[in-house]
Amino acid sequence: MTPLSLLLTLSALLFSLGLFAVLTRRNAILILVGIELMLNAANINFIAFWRYGPPDVDLTGPLFVLFSIAIAAAEAAVGLAIILMVFRHTRSTDLNRLDSLHG
Amino acid sequence: MRLPALIALWMGALSTLGWAQTTKAPPLLAPESWPRLPQRLVEMGLQAAKAPDWLVSIGSFAAAAATVVAVFLTAFALLSLIERKTLARAQNRIGPNRAGIFGILQPVADGIKMLTKEDIVPTKSEWFLHLLAPVLIVIPSILALSVIPYGRDWLPVPMELGMLFFFAVGTMTEIAVFIAGWASGSKFPMLGAMRAISQMVSYELPLIISAMGVVMLSGTLSLSGIVEAQAGFHLGFIPAWYVLTPWGFVAGFIFLIAANAESNRCPFDLPEGESEIVAGHMTEYSGFKYALFFMGEYLGLFAISGLGITLFLGGWQPPLPGLACVPSWIWFFGKLAVVIFFFLWVRATFPRVRIDQLMRFAWLCLIPVSLLTVPVAAIWQYSGGGALGWLLCSAILLIPFVILTVRFNRRMATSNRRYTFAE
Amino acid sequence: MIPLLILSPLILLAALGAVWKARPVHAALLLALVLAMIAVLYLTVGAEFVGLVQFMVYVGAVAILIVFALLITRPGDEAAELARRPRSLAPGLACVAPVLGLLLYAIGTGVPGEAAQDCPPAMPVTALGLELFENAVPAVLAVGVLLTAVLVGAALFARDPASKPQPPIS
Repeated sequence: MTPLSLLLTLSALLFSLGLFAVLTRRNAILILVGIELMLNAANINFIAFWRYGPPDVDLTGPLFVLFSIAIAAAEAAVGLAIILMVFRHTRSTDLNRLDSLHG
Repeated sequence: MRLPALIALWMGALSTLGWAQTTKAPPLLAPESWPRLPQRLVEMGLQAAKAPDWLVSIGSFAAAAATVVAVFLTAFALLSLIERKTLARAQNRIGPNRAGIFGILQPVADGIKMLTKEDIVPTKSEWFLHLLAPVLIVIPSILALSVIPYGRDWLPVPMELGMLFFFAVGTMTEIAVFIAGWASGSKFPMLGAMRAISQMVSYELPLIISAMGVVMLSGTLSLSGIVEAQAGFHLGFIPAWYVLTPWGFVAGFIFLIAANAESNRCPFDLPEGESEIVAGHMTEYSGFKYALFFMGEYLGLFAISGLGITLFLGGWQPPLPGLACVPSWIWFFGKLAVVIFFFLWVRATFPRVRIDQLMRFAWLCLIPVSLLTVPVAAIWQYSGGGALGWLLCSAILLIPFVILTVRFNRRMATSNRRYTFAE
Repeated sequence: MIPLLILSPLILLAALGAVWKARPVHAALLLALVLAMIAVLYLTVGAEFVGLVQFMVYVGAVAILIVFALLITRPGDEAAELARRPRSLAPGLACVAPVLGLLLYAIGTGVPGEAAQDCPPAMPVTALGLELFENAVPAVLAVGVLLTAVLVGAALFARDPASKPQPPIS
């Protein structure tokens, strides 16, 4: 197994774990945990291709990871602010109970 | 419980090793390189014994880490005595004077007391996280101490990204404080941890932003590079430290305030304000674990003061031209003593602030002004630092100062506060 | 290669814990551990700047935010979570398995067999900075605008609409 395929496998498994968390968890904050795992899996791919892929003089991989980290921070901040607001209205972060628009 | 904590602590100290690289060697017995003597002796001993290269480097790093840890643990013991003596002097008391002459053995007595106390783990706590927290508090402080250049020849771990590393490991403290508060399983630690985290997150921003101008002007993230950028003297006797420029003065002052808040010291010691929430996140700790918290706090204070000295006060550079013959690490520790004394003085002088004042001060005063120092640093750079630069930069920085002063004075003057219970 | 072989299973184990732990705070702390170990992974493959930034932003900000939100919302009901487990496990696996299978198939067939570079490619900070502020300026500006908007927006969102006016400072 080459380092590249090792890192790619790691990232695929991390992505699947994150997806599993997003699909099965009911607590909105823990769904955010799953999303962070998926984002990090993508970042690992960028770094893996930069390090073990064909030579990359423009540093595209690390640059993209830096942007992705910045956007992930923004996403977490907004997501948690929304969750707090929802919590204030419903006293719950359980997504199954957010059914007030239910017909 | 005490032994695993001790072992984990030493693992943390030794993990600094992985970061280290060797530097070139000046003469062995010059006063300049006395602090590196243990490291050199270990290296020479291992080489004489025909040890393989990786063993030599590991041994060398172990010795370097051990030097730093030994120096700062001694400094910690001394400071715990000096702090009590200084505070006592400020409050017209005598302070510790029973153990040894002038109470000089007080740290030893305290240490023995701490080590022999019973280690209480609350039944409602999670024992593993409860054990992990004090260890996680001490490790980042030691890691942060390992990248600071203490002298011309004494930089335990040379790193190109030293400043970034310092701030990155510093963030570990917040998680540790949270774990301490949560794992204790009771109210006061939880409240203290929430206060501490919100305070640390708020004050980390001005801390990092005020360091930005230094990085811009010196053009490097390496701490030794920043010290070298502050070498030389203006007009033959004024040192070229960043604190002696308009933006550097303001940024340095903000750094000082934020560092004070970041290390949870009075007047920003709400997370562990005794009269409000017992001891904050440390309430449920006793014995050696409590001592670890105490140690982590003081080592963090040393580390952040050391960073401030490196960024703004010229690191190990001497303050006057003819003094380069004195070993450079003496200058560093002299400046460290001055800065720490300033912190003690502040602690003895100011009353504790309230939590809303604390937050408002960070977000409405420190962050805007520290953001302003970044463009002002650029203006300073391009104006060449002459009389014009002084005039322009001071004018720009005076505007928010005047506005904030007027605003806060007006607010302070009137209006009784109505106390309500926390919801 | 050896550090990667050591780190990868650890990351996966911690991530599994973050996904599987019923107690929310444990899951969040394990997520912090995963993020920290990914930072170490970046450091070991030579992307030092990225690794330290990852540590600072993810462990210092994102994990703290998540933990803090958990404290404020105080999610309980571990028993309900554990009771729901058996029912959600099968559909979850059924959805994840094809994705994982596809990814692993792509990795198995598409990746060249031999490593392309032996030593880590250089990533000096100055080169990264020049690249950021010369070629990627629009992206940097866009991220700056985004982060400012997020700062203001999150502050507005999180403000309690029903709260009384703040007491005066003093």
